[in-house]
Amino acid sequence: MIKVSNLSKKIGDVQALDDLSFTAEDGKITGLLGPNGAGKTTCLRTVFGLLKADTGKAEINGIDVAKSPIQAKQELGLFPDPFGLYERLTPREYISFFAELSGLNRQQAKEATSQVIHKLHLADIADRRCKGFSQGQRMKTALAQAIVHEPGNIILDEPTRGLDVMSTRVLRDLLQDLKTQGHCILFSSHVMQEVAALCDQVIVMANGKVVAKGSPDELCQQTGKASLEDAFIQLIGTDEGIAA
Amino acid sequence: MHKGKMNLSRLAPPIRRSLAALALMVSTATLISSAQAAPESTSNHAQFVTQPCYIDGLSERLQCGYITVPENPEQPNGKVIDVHFAVLPAIKNTHPQEALLAIAGGPGQSAIENAAGFDRMLNKVRQQRDILLIDQRGTGKSNLLQCEGEGFEGALAIDESTFNTAEETQKCLDTLTKDGTDVRQYGSINALHDFEAIRTHLGYSKLHIYGISYGTRMAQLYMRHYPQHLLTVTLDGVVPMQQSVIAIGDAIERGFDKLLQDCEANTLCQQQFPQLAVELSSVKADLAAQATISQVNDPLTGETTQLTMTLNKFLGALRMALYNPNVRALIPHAIHQAAQGNYQAIMGLYAMTIDSTGIAMGMHTSVVCGEDWQRISPEFRAQVTRSYFGKEMLSSFDQSCNVWQMPAAPADFSAAIDSDIPTLVLSGELDPATPPSWGEMAMEKLKNAKHFIAPYATHGVAYQSCGNDLIHQLVTQLSVETLDASCLDKDVSRNFYLNASTVEAVPANTVTNSTKETPSAGAQL
Amino acid sequence: MINRILTMVRKELIDAARDKRSVMAGLYYAIGTPLMMCGMFMMLISQLTSPDDLNIHIQNPDKAPDLVKFLASSGINNGASSETPGLKVKEIYLTIADDYPEQMAKGLRAEVTLVADNSNEKLQKSISRLKKQLQAYASEMGSLRLIARGIDPRVVQPLKVVVEDQATADSKGGIILGFAIFTMIYAVFISGMNLAIDTSAGERERNSLALLLSHPISTWQLVMSKIISVTIFAMLGLALILIVSKIAYAFVPWQELGFAVNINPSFMLVMLAVGFPVAIMAAATQLFVSFMAKSFKEAQSYLTIVLLLPAALALAASYDIAPDTLQWLPVSGQQQALMAYVKGREIPLVQLAVSSLATLGIALALTFGLERSLKSEKIVFGL
Repeated sequence: MIKVSNLSKKIGDVQALDDLSFTAEDGKITGLLGPNGAGKTTCLRTVFGLLKADTGKAEINGIDVAKSPIQAKQELGLFPDPFGLYERLTPREYISFFAELSGLNRQQAKEATSQVIHKLHLADIADRRCKGFSQGQRMKTALAQAIVHEPGNIILDEPTRGLDVMSTRVLRDLLQDLKTQGHCILFSSHVMQEVAALCDQVIVMANGKVVAKGSPDELCQQTGKASLEDAFIQLIGTDEGIAA
Repeated sequence: MHKGKMNLSRLAPPIRRSLAALALMVSTATLISSAQAAPESTSNHAQFVTQPCYIDGLSERLQCGYITVPENPEQPNGKVIDVHFAVLPAIKNTHPQEALLAIAGGPGQSAIENAAGFDRMLNKVRQQRDILLIDQRGTGKSNLLQCEGEGFEGALAIDESTFNTAEETQKCLDTLTKDGTDVRQYGSINALHDFEAIRTHLGYSKLHIYGISYGTRMAQLYMRHYPQHLLTVTLDGVVPMQQSVIAIGDAIERGFDKLLQDCEANTLCQQQFPQLAVELSSVKADLAAQATISQVNDPLTGETTQLTMTLNKFLGALRMALYNPNVRALIPHAIHQAAQGNYQAIMGLYAMTIDSTGIAMGMHTSVVCGEDWQRISPEFRAQVTRSYFGKEMLSSFDQSCNVWQMPAAPADFSAAIDSDIPTLVLSGELDPATPPSWGEMAMEKLKNAKHFIAPYATHGVAYQSCGNDLIHQLVTQLSVETLDASCLDKDVSRNFYLNASTVEAVPANTVTNSTKETPSAGAQL
Repeated sequence: MINRILTMVRKELIDAARDKRSVMAGLYYAIGTPLMMCGMFMMLISQLTSPDDLNIHIQNPDKAPDLVKFLASSGINNGASSETPGLKVKEIYLTIADDYPEQMAKGLRAEVTLVADNSNEKLQKSISRLKKQLQAYASEMGSLRLIARGIDPRVVQPLKVVVEDQATADSKGGIILGFAIFTMIYAVFISGMNLAIDTSAGERERNSLALLLSHPISTWQLVMSKIISVTIFAMLGLALILIVSKIAYAFVPWQELGFAVNINPSFMLVMLAVGFPVAIMAAATQLFVSFMAKSFKEAQSYLTIVLLLPAALALAASYDIAPDTLQWLPVSGQQQALMAYVKGREIPLVQLAVSSLATLGIALALTFGLERSLKSEKIVFGL
């Protein structure tokens, strides 16, 4: 479970987060939807303790990230944007490395890596260096890295950006899988379709604030619009920066 | 041993190139046979010390040390002596297990005191290998057996015929034995075992040896007793084992003959001194009849002093001049002047021989009396005494050896060396001490040796020619087969002095008194 | 905790080992520098030393045949008289005056004129050799002239100057060794540089830095692992240059210059020990600077400038003109201590300790700075 309470953060002169609060529950997929510049990435980085909030706090399974970053991060898996691959390592080395960083010992890391490679059908590229991988292969590798240590909470930053259709589908299936296994999944996106298709709960952000939250249906109801798209435009006042 | 004798034995040539010396003197010693069987090694008892040091003539830092050995190897608990050595470290030591042991002549010269000369001569070898110098027991720093002579003072005035060799020798022996020294322990064999002990202690598994003059005897003994530790040997100015050094009298005569021939064959010398042989004979005859006494300025102090010019001084001075090609060049002029009654040049040459303390006379006497004097036969004696030097020397050793009581070296001591170690034998055609025939004799049973005769060299070929390069080649190639001695034939002979100033042809119109450096006319304000 | 550092170090090393740029930079330097120096010195030696047979131009040789022969006996030949085609004759002219024989015969000074360019390094040795031989000839003649007049030549040599040179064969190679040591110390900086940039500025450029920091590791662990990795690389470079130097320098005929340049095992150990703190400092400096840079390229250009400082310190220290204070400073202190060691002098332990501690102090300070900067959002995200 990821809980964000009253987060505020100023970057330069911009109020990037403004009294932001929401909760992402276990066994649910929570979408952070907002136009570019709404503060999604800043929010996620704060959750990871990479940025310090001016006020408020972020908790992972009840652990304050700012106070106990190591323990908190132990419960997290991150699928970053961009992926941050090490091109000279093979996926197996890459995944295993981060597994160890997440607290597994070498042996465990190896086993977990093998499992996740199997799970994501990465076996054919697992021992090739990442250099020259297609976008889909990169995505899978990054994803494997995020879930190899089976964290209770998985955060995905714009996971479908630049993905082809097939990859996007794989990703969706996987997220559904993880959800049914009881993981808490939080992802940010500016693609409405994706959010609509996947999310149990949507948090709509604009200018660093939560402007609405609820299931896609609830949001439609709140705004009295038939489609999420309309609801969204209604919520943030514009459709700029949002992809259909 | 002093004076009279010293004049003969000081072989250290003038201008301090002293290595080229082979001393000779002799006297009659009683045969006390003992002490020839030295133990295999003295190393069990030896103590060993080494430290950085400086040696006269070399500015760089060397390693010096000594081992302490029993003076008499048969009495390991008796008196001990320190045998000193010095290592000229290789510039770039590519063969740390090897060293070149350079052995000095005399007998009685210190190898360490002559380090600068060895360093210059062996500089190519030293690029890659250590040079090991040892003060043989009784020389240099190794319990020096030096007899105090009268030195410089009075030396000009003395008439050697009044000199009592037996008495002086006894005085010397008494002085030397005061501290319990047993002069009979200072023969070559005991010294050889010291050398070997030092080799062992310094950790060299193999040695190259360079021996000059008497040093060649030590080198040959090394070949006989410890061949397994030798890689190569160079014998320069050889005293073959078969040869008693007392035979040097003939070699000296030969040296004088060579000089006269050289001058005759040289146009300039021949023109300037057409009667040289005659002049030499007449001076000898005059001085043999009576010494010439005159007032002179002392060569060193400049004070007025008496010079008693004896035949001994005259020939002794010339003989020592024969050792060095450059000093040798002055001899015709010196003889010519002497024939005119002017002994300035002779006195100058003689002065150079007076206090060159290169030879430890006590050690010298121990070696010659034990190893050379006792082996001579009546026929040999008759032959030797035909020459002036042979006669003088023999009579001198007859007296001093009698006092010294050295045990005779065993009979097989004088056997030819039978060896297949690569050996380079060098002789100088003009050598007034160890003529080429001696080198030939040394070759008798050497199965892997080459004998080269340097046509323009005197005593100590390696100092005067490319002999040093040959040594370097031998040490590097470990074979005499590939040695090319053609470089020895390069004409390095020197012009003779035509007057007291020049070696170049004197232009006919030279007026010796005028000087053209006189300032020419001009206003000097 | 240690495990995570080890994990990161292992990953860095694997990653770096596969990075041609990082490996080659170190390799080129560690292998190339000693080889280049050897080549240079072999050429220099052959040019600087006087040949065994030195051929010069002697003019008017028939006025002084004895002198000509004397020179020839020491290998200085009259090249003009030789008919050997292609003979190399040095541009050194010795002219014997026309009145040489007259002056000699009168016991006066005879004139010989030596014409040569003494600023030409290739000739200097040969010129001084010729001068020395002329001097030797003159003093020999002088002595014999005195002897001929019944005077002991020693009276005109009133001073006997005894020189005790404290140099050893090794220490005479001091300048060259100083430079050799400099190249070794510098190897520590060069070998780790690319890795340092790659693992800092490069890491950020690849967007993997944020990902790393999102994992449950502390910035301390991250900094330590990076410093350790770069240090290991630097030390590998140092070890490599030592080995290559040991092999390569053995082929240079140093002895012809009259000294030795020996890289022996004990020197190698001392070098590694003394170089270690420098390697740590180099790693910390390079990482610190690289993290400040926005990109790989920028980091490279910053570092090139920053590395001038240790280079200047070490180079200055390799010459004896260096002020004493240098022996207390980082890098130059180690350089001087190492030079003292090869020269067989006592190692200035106090100075070495001070400079090593200063080195470590700088490394520590930079490590703190690095750790702080990795907590800074600006540095991490380049905001």
